[in-house]
Amino acid sequence: MPVFRFILQRVFQAVLVTLAVTLFVAFTVRLTGDPAVMLTAESSSVTEDDLVRIREALGLNQPFYAQYFDFIKSLVTFDLGNSFFRGSIRDLMAIALPSTLLLAVASMGISILISIPLGIHAALHKGGISDQIIRVLSLVGLSFPNFWLGIMFVLLLSIAFPILPASGFETWTALILPALTIGIILTATNVRLVRTQMLETLSQQYVMVARAKGLNERSVIYKHALRNAAIAIVTFLGLQFGNLIGGLVVVELVFNWPGMGTLSIEAIAQRDYPLLQATVSILAIMIVAVNLAVDLVYGLIDPRIRVA
Amino acid sequence: MTIRQTFLAKTALRSALLVSCLALAAPAFAQDTTLNVAQRQDPQNLDPIDTFRLSWGSIGSNVFDGLVFRGEDLELQPGLATGWEFLDDETRIRFTLREGVEFHNGEPFNAEAVKYTFDRLLGDEGAKGPQRSNYTSIREVVVVDPYTVDFMMERPDPVLISKLAGYGAMIVPPKYIQEVGEEAFDMKPVGTGPFQVSEYTPTVGVKLEKFDNYWNGEAKVDAVNIRFIPEDATRIAELLSGGVDISLNIPTPSVETVKQNANVDLVAVDGPTVDLTRFNTASGITADPRVRKAITMAVDRNTIVKALLGGLASPISSAQGAKSFGNDPALEAYAYDPEAAKALLAEAGVAPGTEITLDMPNNDETFREVAQVIAAFLGQVGLNVNIRTHERGVYFNDIIENGKTGEMYYYGWGGWTFDFDNTAYILYHTGERFNPYVSDAKLDELLDAQRQTYDRDVREAALQAVARYAHEQALDLPLYNKATIYGVSKNVEGFDPAPDDRARYMNVTLK
Repeated sequence: MPVFRFILQRVFQAVLVTLAVTLFVAFTVRLTGDPAVMLTAESSSVTEDDLVRIREALGLNQPFYAQYFDFIKSLVTFDLGNSFFRGSIRDLMAIALPSTLLLAVASMGISILISIPLGIHAALHKGGISDQIIRVLSLVGLSFPNFWLGIMFVLLLSIAFPILPASGFETWTALILPALTIGIILTATNVRLVRTQMLETLSQQYVMVARAKGLNERSVIYKHALRNAAIAIVTFLGLQFGNLIGGLVVVELVFNWPGMGTLSIEAIAQRDYPLLQATVSILAIMIVAVNLAVDLVYGLIDPRIRVA
Repeated sequence: MTIRQTFLAKTALRSALLVSCLALAAPAFAQDTTLNVAQRQDPQNLDPIDTFRLSWGSIGSNVFDGLVFRGEDLELQPGLATGWEFLDDETRIRFTLREGVEFHNGEPFNAEAVKYTFDRLLGDEGAKGPQRSNYTSIREVVVVDPYTVDFMMERPDPVLISKLAGYGAMIVPPKYIQEVGEEAFDMKPVGTGPFQVSEYTPTVGVKLEKFDNYWNGEAKVDAVNIRFIPEDATRIAELLSGGVDISLNIPTPSVETVKQNANVDLVAVDGPTVDLTRFNTASGITADPRVRKAITMAVDRNTIVKALLGGLASPISSAQGAKSFGNDPALEAYAYDPEAAKALLAEAGVAPGTEITLDMPNNDETFREVAQVIAAFLGQVGLNVNIRTHERGVYFNDIIENGKTGEMYYYGWGGWTFDFDNTAYILYHTGERFNPYVSDAKLDELLDAQRQTYDRDVREAALQAVARYAHEQALDLPLYNKATIYGVSKNVEGFDPAPDDRARYMNVTLK
C-alpha cells in the first residue's frame, strides 16, 4: 500500500520536525530570562529566598532534560500540563486554537472566492482594461501593511459608520473585519498567481487540442485549464495557510482576536516556558499537517501523482 | 416586549455587536443593565495571591474585600475589620472583625477565614506566587474568638495596614477553596465584594454580576462585562464607537483623540507611577556627582511634560509623586539651567562631544519620545547620547540587574501603596535586585530605620531625608509622575477614578 507508506513517512517526518522545534524552543527560551524574576518584577520586597522558593514551586530547579521530558510527556498525552501563571494549557488552547483556525479559514475562503474568478478573468482578457485594473489593484493590495488596513477598516466601519464591532469575537459579525483584512491582503498575491498559472496552462498544447476538438469555452477553461493550473495553486495555498497560522499575530492584536499568536506573544513576554513550548509545538504540528494534507490533495486533483 | 424595545432604542447608537449581543440576551435579562469596560491586560489568574498586576486590581477590587479598605481618596478605613489596635510593644496587631458578612457562595466570613487566608498566602500555595514576599513580616495569624484575630509580627512593618487593603491580603473563603481546589479558584474565585465572578475567559474577558447580599450597600448595575484589549488603538476604537462605556489605560498618544470626541470624557488623576532616568554612579563620568548634577540641570522637565505628555503628568523632585507618603513639597528639583550645566561639566573635565549611553526597554513608546528629547537637551550642553533599547525582560533581568547599563538608564516605578518606602528601598538600599550601583551607608541606615517603627512622623521624616539626600547627590534624574487616565462615556455617571487603577464599579450608573 504505497499510500500508507507515504502517509507513514510523512507522519514520521512530522514527529521529527516537532521534536526538533520543541527542543530548540525549550532550550533557547531558557537562555533569555528567569520566570521567577518576571513574576515578581513589580514587587518591592523580593529576596533571593523568595526567588528560590518560586523556582522550586515552578519546577525550574530540575535539570533541563527532566523539564523537557515532562513537556514531551504532556504533549503526547494531550494533557499539555499547566502554564506557570495561568492554569491549564488545554483550557487556553480550547479558546485560542479554534479561533485562530476560524480566522485563517475564513480569510483563506474570502481570498479564494475573490481571487479565482478575478484571476481567470484577468488571464482571459490579458492586456485588456479589466486585466490592467486587476493588476494595479493587486499591486496596491500588496503594498498595504495588514495592521494599517485593519485600523482603516475599524475607523471607517466601526467609528465613522458604526456598522461592525471594532474588536472581540463573541458574535459572528466580529469575524468580518479581521477576515476581510487578511483576505484582501492574501487576495493581492493569489490573484496574480491564478492569473499567471491560467495564462501558462491556456498556452499549453492540450488546451489548443481541446479547443480544436470543438469543446465549448466553459469546459476548456474549467475542466482542462483550471484543473491543471490547480496543482500549483493548491501547493501555494497550502504553504500560504501554514504561514498564515503563524503570521496572524499582528491582525489578532489589532482586532483583539484571542488566537494562538496573542497567546504565544504573551508567553514570550512572561517567559512562560510550558505555554510557549505548547503553542509553538502545536503551530509546528499544524503547519506540518497542512503540508501533509496538500500532498494528499494532489492525488485528488491529479491521478498521475496518486500512482507515483 | 415593550421593555425590550425601549431598551434597544436607548442603545441604538451603539455598535452592531453590542445591540446583537443584548438582543440575544434580551429575552432572559430584559431589564438588566450591563456596564461594559475595556482594560489592557488579562490578569491571567484571578487568585489574589497569584498576581501583582494592576489588571487584577481593577477586577479584584470589585470581587474581594480586605480587612482594611482604601478607596479612591487613598484614606485607610475599616473594611472587613471594624478596627485594629497595636499590642505588646507593637509586636501583635489585634483586628476586630465585622459580623454578618458572607462570601458569594454563602459561606460566612469570620476569624477562620482570615487565618486561612494568611496561612495560605504564607504557606506552600503562596510560595508559587509573587504576593507572599509582601507579607512575610507576619509570622502567624491567631484566632482569638470567632470575630477577633491577632497578627503576630515577625518584624515591624509600617506599610502593613496599607498592604492589607489590596492584592495578596484579600480575604478568601476556606470551604470553597477546599471544595473546588486551587485551580478552579484561579478561574472562578469567590470573595465578599459587591460583584461576583460569573465567567472568566482567558484572553477574552471576565463577566461580573451583582452580589445581592453585599455587606456595604448595593451595586447599581446588574452586571459588568470587562474585556481585555491589549492593543491601544483597538481599545480606543471600542470606546469611541460605544462598544465599551469605560476604558482603562488610555495611552498618552491617544489623549487628544479621546478629548475631541463628543461622546466621551477624559478623566485623569495622579497615579502611583514615576518615570526617571538613573545614573551609573559606580563608574564612568557619571560617578562624579558634578556630572550627574549637570545632567539634571540640562533637561527641562516642564517642556517634556507639556509637549510630550499632554500635561497629564507632573514634574517631580524625587522618585515619587505628590500623593506619596514621604514626599516633601519643600524639596525643589534643580532648575533648568544649561549654562550652569556646561560650567559644571567643564569643571568635572568632561569634554564637549563626550558620548554617553541611555538604556531603556523597547516597549514604551512614550518614553522612547521622552528619551529622544532628553538626548536633544543633553546635546545642547555637549553630551552626545546614544539610546539603546532592549526587550523588556532582558532589560530588567540582565541589563539593570547585572549592572550592564550605560551612564543613564530608564526606570519606571510605583507601588499601589503610595508609600515611598516601596520605591526608595529598591532604588537606594545596598544589594537590592534592581539597584546595581548605589551603596551608601547613610541611605541604608535611614531606609532600615523607617522600617522599624509604626510612627508616621518618624517615618515621614526619614523618607523625606532619603529623598533629599538622593537629590543632593543627584543619584538620579527624576522626571515626572504619570497620571492614571480613564476614558468614560457620557452615559456613565458616578464613576470615581481610582489613582491606582483599582477601579470600582459598584456606584456607577448608566443613563
